[in-house]
Amino acid sequence: MRVVLAEDLYLLRDGLARMLTAHGFEVVAAVETGPELLEALLGLRPDVAVVDVRLPPTRTDEGLQAALVARREIPGLPVLVLSQHVEQLYARELLADGNGGVGYLLKDRVFNAEQFVDAVRRVAGGGMAMDPDVIAKLLVRSEREEPISRLTPREREVLALMAEGRSNLAIGQRLFLSESAVSKHTASIFAKLDLAPSDDDNRRVLAVLAYLNSATTR
Amino acid sequence: MALDPIRRCGLALLRGLALAGLGVATAVSFVVHLAFLVVGFGLGLLVLPPLAIRAGRPVTNLARRLAGTWSGVPVEVPYQPRPAPPAPDAEGHYPRDNRLYRRPWVPAALNWFDWLLGDPATYRDLAWLALNPVVGTLLGGAPAALVGVGLWYAASRAGTDWWALPAGLAAVAAGLALAPGLVLLHGRWTRLLLRPPRPEPGRLRVWYARLLVTLLRLLCLLGLSLLALPLAALGALGLLLGYGLGIVAVLPPLIENVRHLAELRRRLAGRWSGVEVPSPYLPRPELPPRRPDGRYRVGAHLYRTERWAGYHLRLRWLTRDGATWRDLVWLLLDPVVGGLMLAVPLAALGYGLFGLAVPRFWMLLGVTPEGDAAAWYAAVAGSGAAAIPVGLALAAFGVFAAPRVLRGNGRWVRLLLAPTARARLALRVRRLTETRADATAAQAAELRRIERDLHDGAQARLIAMGINLGHVEYLLDRDPAAARALLAETREASAKALAELRDLVRGIHPPVLAERGLADAIRALALDLPVRTEVGIELPGRAEPPIESAVYFAVSELLTNVVKHAQAERAAVELRYVDGRLRVVVRDDGRGGVDPARGSGVRGIERRLGTFDGVVEVSSPPGGPTVVTLEVPCALSSPRTSTS
Repeated sequence: MRVVLAEDLYLLRDGLARMLTAHGFEVVAAVETGPELLEALLGLRPDVAVVDVRLPPTRTDEGLQAALVARREIPGLPVLVLSQHVEQLYARELLADGNGGVGYLLKDRVFNAEQFVDAVRRVAGGGMAMDPDVIAKLLVRSEREEPISRLTPREREVLALMAEGRSNLAIGQRLFLSESAVSKHTASIFAKLDLAPSDDDNRRVLAVLAYLNSATTR
Repeated sequence: MALDPIRRCGLALLRGLALAGLGVATAVSFVVHLAFLVVGFGLGLLVLPPLAIRAGRPVTNLARRLAGTWSGVPVEVPYQPRPAPPAPDAEGHYPRDNRLYRRPWVPAALNWFDWLLGDPATYRDLAWLALNPVVGTLLGGAPAALVGVGLWYAASRAGTDWWALPAGLAAVAAGLALAPGLVLLHGRWTRLLLRPPRPEPGRLRVWYARLLVTLLRLLCLLGLSLLALPLAALGALGLLLGYGLGIVAVLPPLIENVRHLAELRRRLAGRWSGVEVPSPYLPRPELPPRRPDGRYRVGAHLYRTERWAGYHLRLRWLTRDGATWRDLVWLLLDPVVGGLMLAVPLAALGYGLFGLAVPRFWMLLGVTPEGDAAAWYAAVAGSGAAAIPVGLALAAFGVFAAPRVLRGNGRWVRLLLAPTARARLALRVRRLTETRADATAAQAAELRRIERDLHDGAQARLIAMGINLGHVEYLLDRDPAAARALLAETREASAKALAELRDLVRGIHPPVLAERGLADAIRALALDLPVRTEVGIELPGRAEPPIESAVYFAVSELLTNVVKHAQAERAAVELRYVDGRLRVVVRDDGRGGVDPARGSGVRGIERRLGTFDGVVEVSSPPGGPTVVTLEVPCALSSPRTSTS
């Protein structure tokens, strides 16, 4: 699997590249600035990109902006965004196009190599990987807001794990449910959030998006 | 069919008669009211007036009902609703006006008094009761009187004068014909005073009220200007004593009294004339610290005791301030300049109306004043013909000039009493010194906090991790299982250290603020709140980073307060750039009652923004809503557009 890596700190970039290579990825480009990243994304069209939010030259949100631009050019281009801090604001922007293939994780999550690589694979496969911190922040408020208030507590738990990017099987293991019970819950969630039947991955993204939007201000 | 109009008129006649009877009843009611009010307020029997008012309401309500059914002029009942019975608090007491009552009847009675005495309709009722015995009785009784007189005339004189019969019948007919119209008129008359007052006064009344207020203000200012005259004389005497004879003790009280008057005029210039005049006085200096020899130094003098040093310091402070001398000059000039200025419109209006127009008018009606009218009274240059037009023109000039003179007087006050450029600079320096002290203190405290957090948090954890890793190295060959467990623990510790660092960084400078600027940082802040918060932002560019940071933390603090204390369902943040000022409005629908004097949070924000000459305004009545407005003057850089 071909990966583009964007990270401005040498130590981190090197470590990430080593880890990904060790897990069978092919790092086709490891860049350190926003413009380089955009060029690599559009030029090399990797299977997945691992991107730091803050990159030179402005050291603001160059990485995020480059990823968003690239995804506008190539819809669904899988991007996993890493950051020292997670914001619902950024998560919303990443998910807004509803195309999936999006991850947004704290850099700490890299510590657990297996889980991290798993997240990269999920994103590359068009799935999703939202940081548990983002989900936790969402849970603070969205319970009283439409349409999330229609969900049962159990369905909300399932939705939260879905947002992290877990498969039905993984969700079942986590909540001690059978896989069929989980898919019953997901079907109920999709119905309550008025999501028309379509490709399952896409609906999972839309469900999470509805979740995010319920906590938004506009 | 032909009988119908006659029957209608007859009915109206009878109704009119009844209304006249009501007039008599109102007379009785008014007399009772008067007696109760006079006795009640005169002898302090405060129970009596509300009783009379309550007892009088059925009379006025009857008049309203009759106006609706008989005259076809519906009149709404204007009274305020009866107060609800007092509710006990948690401990079973009944609170009212900062007092607790054990039983409900005292507060209930007080509420009842307020309800009756505080209703403006009560006083309109009183006016109606006073006038209706005459007006209502005349309007209602006139047709019946005409008919009665006509009948009597026709019956008694029919034998003597041949025209008595037709004349009497004509009077009867006139009485009958007038009856419906007069009953209608009675209804209108009732409505005039007994309906609820109109929510908005007419334009003429507004104009008149404004004119009256303006004239009263001119009069007050004139009085104050003339008051300056004796004070100026005292001032001259004081200066003579103080500087001529060396009795300096008279100076401080003199100067301070002059300052009181000058401050009053400054305030009035702002409030009445719309000309803001800031206070120019230098702030009172603090006593310097004791010298090593234990004495205080003021100027070139050394004092052993605090009292004398303080006295000299106060004297120096008062006499060395340029504003003091400008005050004194103003004191001497104001009776002449200000007084003349204020007198012109008042004199024009007074003399024009009451010296020329009105007396001449009465003369035209044949009322001649006793004695000779002097040349200036009711006559212009000895000729009476011009008196009315000239008088009216003078009055019109007075009316025209009054508001302008009021404003002009404010400018005159500003001319001498506003701070000079030097005084403004001195005040500015003082303010800057204060805010700089605040800023450096805040910065030092911030650094101390960061140092403590790092020392007790991330730094300690890194040390622990180092120790653990050393132990892992030792265990690696001997007990691989234990080594693995310790490694997992160490990884956890590193995650915790990172989380702590992340929180710390957020407190120093939030990453979103660095990456996206103020607008998105506030949006991100709002997203993380447990209270639903609307964000409206219109910023054409970005402010300087220190200002962005200060405003961000101010908003963050305010929103934290909303979540912690306000018990709000919703909150809203508005960010706008108006007239070179960044304005932030944070509001919530919580329980209100935020006291900026007590809440250290608001004070902290004030200090934080004070460095940038920003101001904080809090409006938070008990029961909410709370609205906090922050304003910081600043320039915006060219737009680096923020995505949203």
